[in-house]
Amino acid sequence: MRPMKVAITGLTACSGCQLTLLNCEDELPELLGLCELVYFPLAESGNVLDAQFDAAIVEGAVSTPKDLELLFSLRNAARVLVAYGTCALFGGVAAMNNTISCRRDLLQTVFGDAVQLPESFAPAPLANYVSVDAAVTGCPPEKQEIMELVAALAAGTLPPARCYPVCTECRSRENLCLLLEKRELCLGPVVQGGCNARCPATGIVCEGCRGPVREANVAQELELLLERGFGREEVERRMSRFKPGWNYGQRR
Amino acid sequence: MGSVVEIAPLTRLEGHGSVRIYREGCRVERVELNFIDSPRLFEALLIGKSFAEVPEIICRICALCSTVHKVTALLAVEDALGIEVSEVTALTRELMLQAGMIQDHALHLYCLVLPDLLGVRGVAELASVAPELLKAGLAVKKAGNTVLETAGGRLIHPVNICLGGLGRSLNKKELVRLKDELQQALPAAQEAHRLFSTPFPFPELPEPAFLALQPSDRPLGARLCRMADGPTFPLRDYRQHVEERVVGYSNAKLSTVQGKEATVGALARLNLDPDLEPLAAQLFATHKRELVGKDVRSNNLAQAIEMCHAIERALRLIDRLIELGPQRASAPAISPRAATGSAACEAPRGTLIHSYSFDAQGLCTMADVITPTALNQGALARDLLALACAMEGEETTRMTTALERLIRCYDPCISCSVHLLTL
Repeated sequence: MRPMKVAITGLTACSGCQLTLLNCEDELPELLGLCELVYFPLAESGNVLDAQFDAAIVEGAVSTPKDLELLFSLRNAARVLVAYGTCALFGGVAAMNNTISCRRDLLQTVFGDAVQLPESFAPAPLANYVSVDAAVTGCPPEKQEIMELVAALAAGTLPPARCYPVCTECRSRENLCLLLEKRELCLGPVVQGGCNARCPATGIVCEGCRGPVREANVAQELELLLERGFGREEVERRMSRFKPGWNYGQRR
Repeated sequence: MGSVVEIAPLTRLEGHGSVRIYREGCRVERVELNFIDSPRLFEALLIGKSFAEVPEIICRICALCSTVHKVTALLAVEDALGIEVSEVTALTRELMLQAGMIQDHALHLYCLVLPDLLGVRGVAELASVAPELLKAGLAVKKAGNTVLETAGGRLIHPVNICLGGLGRSLNKKELVRLKDELQQALPAAQEAHRLFSTPFPFPELPEPAFLALQPSDRPLGARLCRMADGPTFPLRDYRQHVEERVVGYSNAKLSTVQGKEATVGALARLNLDPDLEPLAAQLFATHKRELVGKDVRSNNLAQAIEMCHAIERALRLIDRLIELGPQRASAPAISPRAATGSAACEAPRGTLIHSYSFDAQGLCTMADVITPTALNQGALARDLLALACAMEGEETTRMTTALERLIRCYDPCISCSVHLLTL
């Protein structure tokens, strides 16, 4: 079988999603055997982005003209484009203030007024600019998810989307419910599963790093939290950490 | 006639960067180092967030360094709010920092630097040219990662460490398993210095001004910064000693410490009489002449020695954790107050400082993060110019290759460096 040609790169991000791939120590040699890396600047030198290739795996949000330029050239050259990780899918931490503050003010807070500010606009998901063929969520994604993705791409298909919340796996692990039993601000009910309830299993609330699950009952979660004495402002701040602009009236 | 050579993107390092060499004929006029990661603006995003949220958000600055960012942020918030933690918590945090050191140095040395030594393009070719070496390196990295994942609950952006305590403490079975993993990785880490002891064959560079934290007896208790040939200063006053300025062409800020371009990281730590574990101390003694007072090319060797040291220290921390047994106490109740707190840790790439202010409701009013790469950036720019000048007249590709290798010696982390504070 001809190894598939893959580009792996990041836009506005922390490189954690790309690093998750390098963290598959045992499987890495085999995964690399499935791919010909045409562009992977984090781990490879001498790559140029000119030819057509099979897949682009892209982490990060879009927040600068350079991000956009790279994203367009990846989209033009790749048969399949994958939004890899929460930032690429929902905007992620970079976007948390999108609905409450303007980009220019944020830039000025960090860089001051004296200099020319870097060009930057509100961080947005890849799908706001290009069509996206597949998605892997998580901040960072689970190792098995990136392996699943590479294997699926190599087999000429796409990985299945998960559409159950964190609570599903959390209950099946028989964890103590942090939301109902400990009255903590846990976002498990509205957040996409697949992490095997990693955080609640160590006694820490779900911070929502995998973004909204399909058909999340956001309004019910909000009511539940308000009933438990959390302020609306605090709840919204927490929910926006990985995805700004939830529909708080959504009930399904 | 003037010409510009650009190396873009810089590869095999964390983040997006480029270098421009401006030449007049074959004379090098100036070298510009650009960190062009998109600005992430964490210091601004944190304003108005509650004290409990700060460590969880700020660790997203960088994946490679997420553990040390989270720990440093926890320490700074705890410093502000006057929170004390148990010995088990402090030891677990330090164990995670040592594990971070192991995995980070292993990744840098085996995946990013080794291709230079073997003349290949990257990790994929390594897999076919030197599969055994790559496997040995990945095994060391994996040992560090296993500790991080077990103690932190997640490898990148750990969840188990929180304000005042731990989600859960490790049980004996887990600790024994981690000990086994680390012991298995020790021989390879002990041998690593052989691979990385020859500095790259390019001209000698200026002698660095080393900066590191002064080790303390308590785990993660360092409160003093010291600079070679300079006075020691308390961390609390870091703003009086560290100066940052914005340069137009880069999204990171340049820092100077006491007016000098400081060098932080493994080589700096080894130069400021380090407190090393036995095997690492032996290695250090063997290579002392290649390390003390040497330029940054020796940083890879220093990292190899530290990798061994970190495994030994981690083993010792695990022994103490087994002795103490798991803790039952839950995290203390925390009440907000208007205060400022600072903390610093030695991250794999060097000294990392976090500082936060909170109002009476516990909402953040000021956030400041000074990263090792920001501290190193001035020295890196200076060395790039020195190297380019020393290689005047050489073939362009030879020069760009050498410059890229020099940058890799600093092991920069650009994601971390591009969000610094207001002046």
